[in-house]
Amino acid sequence: MADLAPALALAETSARSRWREQLWQWALPIALVVLFLAFATADSRVFSPANLLNIAQQTSYVALFAMAQAVVIITRGFDLSLGPAVSMVSVGAAVAMTAAVTNGSDPVSVLFIGLIAGLALGAATGLFNGVVIALLGVSPFVATLGSYNIAIGIATTLSAGKPVQGMPDLFSTLLYRGNVFGVPAAIVITVIVGVILHVALTRTVFGRSLYIVGTNPRAAAVAGIPVRRVLVCAYALCSSLAALGALMLTARTGSGEPNLGGSLSLQAIAAAVVGGTSLAGGRGGVGTAVLGALFVTVLSNGMNLTRIDGYVQMVVLGAIIIVGVVLDRARLGTR
Amino acid sequence: MERAGAVGTPDQETEPLLQLVGISKRFTGALALDRVDLDVRAGELHVLFGENGAGKSTLINVISGTFLPDVGSFRFGGEDIRHLTPQRARAIGISPVFQEFSLVPTLTVEENLFLGRELSTGGVLRAGDMRKRARALIDELGFDLEPAARVDNLSRAHQQMAEIAKALLGKVRLLILDEPTASLTERETGRLFELIAKLKQQGVGIIYVSHRMREIRALADRVTVLRDGRYIRTLDAALVTDLELVELMTGRKIDVLFPTIPHAPGKVAVAVENLSVGEGIVSDVNFHARAGEITGIAGLVGCGKSELVRAIYGLEPVTGGSIRLHGMPYEATSPRASLRKGVAYFPANRAAEGLALTRPIRENVSMTALDLKRFVSFGMLRQGAERLLINPIMKQLNLRPPNIERPVGNLSGGNRQKVMLGRALTRDLTIFLFDEPSVGIDVGAKVEVYEFMKRLVEAGAAVIVVSSELPEVLALSNRLYVMHNGKIAAELEGAAKTEQNVLSKFFTDHLAEAAA
Repeated sequence: MADLAPALALAETSARSRWREQLWQWALPIALVVLFLAFATADSRVFSPANLLNIAQQTSYVALFAMAQAVVIITRGFDLSLGPAVSMVSVGAAVAMTAAVTNGSDPVSVLFIGLIAGLALGAATGLFNGVVIALLGVSPFVATLGSYNIAIGIATTLSAGKPVQGMPDLFSTLLYRGNVFGVPAAIVITVIVGVILHVALTRTVFGRSLYIVGTNPRAAAVAGIPVRRVLVCAYALCSSLAALGALMLTARTGSGEPNLGGSLSLQAIAAAVVGGTSLAGGRGGVGTAVLGALFVTVLSNGMNLTRIDGYVQMVVLGAIIIVGVVLDRARLGTR
Repeated sequence: MERAGAVGTPDQETEPLLQLVGISKRFTGALALDRVDLDVRAGELHVLFGENGAGKSTLINVISGTFLPDVGSFRFGGEDIRHLTPQRARAIGISPVFQEFSLVPTLTVEENLFLGRELSTGGVLRAGDMRKRARALIDELGFDLEPAARVDNLSRAHQQMAEIAKALLGKVRLLILDEPTASLTERETGRLFELIAKLKQQGVGIIYVSHRMREIRALADRVTVLRDGRYIRTLDAALVTDLELVELMTGRKIDVLFPTIPHAPGKVAVAVENLSVGEGIVSDVNFHARAGEITGIAGLVGCGKSELVRAIYGLEPVTGGSIRLHGMPYEATSPRASLRKGVAYFPANRAAEGLALTRPIRENVSMTALDLKRFVSFGMLRQGAERLLINPIMKQLNLRPPNIERPVGNLSGGNRQKVMLGRALTRDLTIFLFDEPSVGIDVGAKVEVYEFMKRLVEAGAAVIVVSSELPEVLALSNRLYVMHNGKIAAELEGAAKTEQNVLSKFFTDHLAEAAA
């Protein structure tokens, strides 16, 4: 490293705590490799190129939702309504597109109507959450639990509880079947979004404000940071990213599904937290979300291949959140 | 009520009820109590007298078991006491009434009285018995207090009564009262004094903390003076004058060297007219601060001085009156709007209100300037420019070690305050509001903070210093306002700006009456 001088200037104790922090940073990647090797020895298919691509593709969806959660977890919040919002956006976009198709317009404009309807629905959900939390002072838990039910209600009403069929082929081609130099669309989109979000978090005023608000909201307010506006934007961004993910999943299934979101809320929180995004606020980012998503995906992929029951997998997912939070506590404690 | 049986007048021959010898208590670096002695006899009212920070609160917290002393002997009722806890203290008859209330706001008065010592049979509460005993106690005390009323529906004075009643439920041998009359009316105060007399007759020892000379005159048997955490003297209340007490309390401090500040008062930068904040926290205050001078605001804790400057910055809702900045009317809507008008505020509690502790120094310094072109263009941070600007600022402020990427949480109190000061240099500001600027920092850093203020004044800024530390505001300010109960009690300047004058305003009404 180029500058050894400051490192030498540090006291011994802080050198030790830095070493500990390094250990924490490497704990998850090591655990990931161990997990992967364990599943690979249990079942040789784990290592096959087809399965690796499958893992990568699956990770890209989970990572997108985990990034969405990370944005609000950084502010000390979370979004329980993410899953139902995904269902709602799926159904809403599908309904918009099928309506447009019957009017006989060209596929490109139908596609645009679908994308815009979906993203707008997502942004509206996030704005609603943000306003309730930041302006009315309701806790993120209660606010997003409320919109959880609202979103389920809307999704089920719009679709009458049945899958919405009849979207243009172009939609699935663009968001699912398409590829760039052989890389599937889902991965390409997630990588692009991840890079943009990373820049937004680390190099914009909004990103900087998110971390400061999450670390100490009172100090942020005293320093003149518009805390409420930052929070509203965070929830709007979270739900918009979730909406993008919802459109990608809808393209994969080929229809608007009122149950598409399922357990996504919790899965996304689990991925973000286990990757090192702190529920205490102010820590984490795109890196922790992607790492956590990879971990959760490898775990469920391995469990699928080794035929571990789906309901047992739910038990594991729930336990992961708890373990992630306990480890986060321990990590903060070492500082 | 079952109280200690020892009937009669103070007995000087036998061992005192409470005897503390050489009690010391250190909090992370600061010596809060330095070899303090105190003895309280049964049936005596013993006043603890001293300035803010003299160690009175720490001492009563030691006596009531909240803090364990580091060294010293603690004897109570003829027994050596070790490892005292608040529960044990209550069990052996030490009953404190603190200034900060220990009541649960959502419970009723009687539920609070029996909190943690509920009467029950086989796990079922004996509500009737508790109500009967609560009413009997309140009647005996002569308080106008409804046992079934919820605490958060009560006025502050009634909460104070409930607090006293709570302390007197059960066996009491030593009662500790910390400024008990602060929120009582004249009539209620009279009741309390009658009660105190009754308790003394029953042989209860009383430790009484108060700044009010009149109460000390009316009640005290003996007075112990503390200063800077040290024991000064114990005096017979009948044989000491008010002036002697004030002199003992203030003493002459071996304190930091204050820089000579070349005040050059210019135009009025801040003018406040009939300003009110909250429900009487600040009421009808008029004051002004000019460019090129330090304006001091002195006052006891809770007198509203902090809320006054916070209202100017936009942190407290203004309920009446007006603020003018540089002659223009200003309605403080938000901190950012105030910063844009050139007003900066440095909070007293830096960890809670100032800093994002896990974030680097650089981000904490630029925090108040994230709306400026020099740090931001089209929403993107200019991180290179940020480093180039903040590095020299922190070098100039003598940050040690001078690495602006370290998290603020690793810094000492003095360095943390420097991070706050660094913010002052990131944008154009003309008005600086300092709230307790030297709390929690060491002597060396204090001097640097004062030097910093001096440079601000030399550059023509208006500096307002709010402080509970009298020597500090006295030495720094060109003009000094004294606040008392939310109002300006005096404006002192030049030769009139003395410690005695300020102190006399803290106790205004009482000294006036004592002199009459």
